[in-house]
Amino acid sequence: MLRFIPLKVQAGIAGFESPAAEYTQLSLTLDQILIDHPSATYLGIVEGESMTGVGIFPHDILVVSRAETAVSGDVIVATLNGNFVCKIADTKNMRLLSSAKGFNTYQLNDGDEFIVEGVVTRSIRMHRPFKRGLV
Amino acid sequence: MYALCDVSAMYASCEKVFDPSIRKKPVVVLTNNDGCICATCPVARKMGIGKSFVPYFTVKDELAAMGVVIRSSNYELYADLSQRLMDTCARFAPDHHVYSIDECFLYFGSYIPDAGWQAHAKTIRRTVWKEVRLPIGVGIGPTPTLAKAANHASKRIEGFNGVAVIDNNAVRRRVLKQMAVVDIWGIGRRLARRLNEMGIETAWQLAESKPALMRKHFSVLVESTVYELNGITKLSWDDVRSPKQQIYSTRSFGERVTDKSILRQALLSHVTIAASKLRRQQGLVKTIQVFVSNSPHDRDSFYRKSVTHQFLTPTSDTSVIANTVSGLVENLYRQGVHFYKCGVGLIELVDAAQYQADLFSLSTDNALLMQCMDSINARYGRNTVHIAGQGTTPQYTMKREFLSPQYTTRLEGLPRILCD
Repeated sequence: MLRFIPLKVQAGIAGFESPAAEYTQLSLTLDQILIDHPSATYLGIVEGESMTGVGIFPHDILVVSRAETAVSGDVIVATLNGNFVCKIADTKNMRLLSSAKGFNTYQLNDGDEFIVEGVVTRSIRMHRPFKRGLV
Repeated sequence: MYALCDVSAMYASCEKVFDPSIRKKPVVVLTNNDGCICATCPVARKMGIGKSFVPYFTVKDELAAMGVVIRSSNYELYADLSQRLMDTCARFAPDHHVYSIDECFLYFGSYIPDAGWQAHAKTIRRTVWKEVRLPIGVGIGPTPTLAKAANHASKRIEGFNGVAVIDNNAVRRRVLKQMAVVDIWGIGRRLARRLNEMGIETAWQLAESKPALMRKHFSVLVESTVYELNGITKLSWDDVRSPKQQIYSTRSFGERVTDKSILRQALLSHVTIAASKLRRQQGLVKTIQVFVSNSPHDRDSFYRKSVTHQFLTPTSDTSVIANTVSGLVENLYRQGVHFYKCGVGLIELVDAAQYQADLFSLSTDNALLMQCMDSINARYGRNTVHIAGQGTTPQYTMKREFLSPQYTTRLEGLPRILCD
């Protein structure tokens, strides 16, 4: 059984504005939480299941920052032969790793068109799909 | 020192940012209603596809045979990437001026980068490529005109590779000698022809001529240009009209602005400036861009917002544009933000003389109704509400048959990323 200690909430001396009032305009937005570099951040929608091991599922939304520099182990978005792909960077061995069973590691070759587009800094898990049936 | 940064083949380059499958292909972008070619990427240019305003239907089959990718103008995408470009460039100098959708001036004042100008210019170029994925040329010089000349050199004169700095007489001479007068900032075609008749062919020859004589023969503007080519700043960027198809009016505030009505007033004054420039060149505007931001140098988290608005009927009426911008302020303003800068860009223009009014064209007298309709449409998608007379087949939405998705401004347009 929980016990409650009744406390009267009072905002200072009557006639003065609550000291908390000045904070009311600092409303938190998802942009602040999800985006570190607004001018270099892009969104993308996931297709495929090779990254479920790091919690990235089909139709999730990736927050991709071009301001970051990819280091080994980062989840990145890259252009690979004409497609955007999401993989884990293994810069030492020049490989692109998947994070789910049954998906192969991709070894980069000289002939590949490859460029890192950005680092996935956040991802948004779509526990329910968009109501309007976007994807 | 000043810098001028501009994007090579802006519209075509923007199309490549979010579509990796066409990065290496020839791409051309068509003007409104898919009428003419307005941008050609370097790959296409190498194949001999001209840059000029060729009507699309005359080259349609030829382009198809060459495997050229065709795109309609995606102004929503270009305006968004333009904003990102401007924000990124602005980080590198104390002062910044948007000149057109794809170029901006940076003013350094007394600032001198530790690593030197050449390295600074390279950093700007590399950063824009990394963070925005747009290829830019950077020109740096002691005056706006010389910065513009350096920018020209960065792209057109061999050996510069996208970056040129005019910081001594040897480079100035080398660049100006290889530059035709017509390529100088503010020297139009007609003026260039008259200069040619006087025996002045290169920028260097103009730089060497007597300023007073140029004033006598031509105008104060040409006199100023001569001074500028010699490193003496005479022009403010507002003096010279952009030869491109956009008009921008933008300023940073003297003091940070937090009040909505002051922000609105500032934006409306930009409307007045831009609209009068527009009327001066007998233009009508179809698409405007309105943007606000705080300073990236402030301690608050960075805030910027930009909206584009398309007019159903092109207009040059200040009150019509002002009404629209006034309505957009609600979308742009946020309480608690210390606004540092705002501006208005007329980014899609048509020639008033050549504009053929639509039979069903809305009367501009009914500005309020238009604003209401447009703000509903801006929120819920184009044509959510429209007048009955328009009918069910949209008569005057732009024809954009080859339109790419709005990758950054619409949920439906977000790029797909493969995990396979």
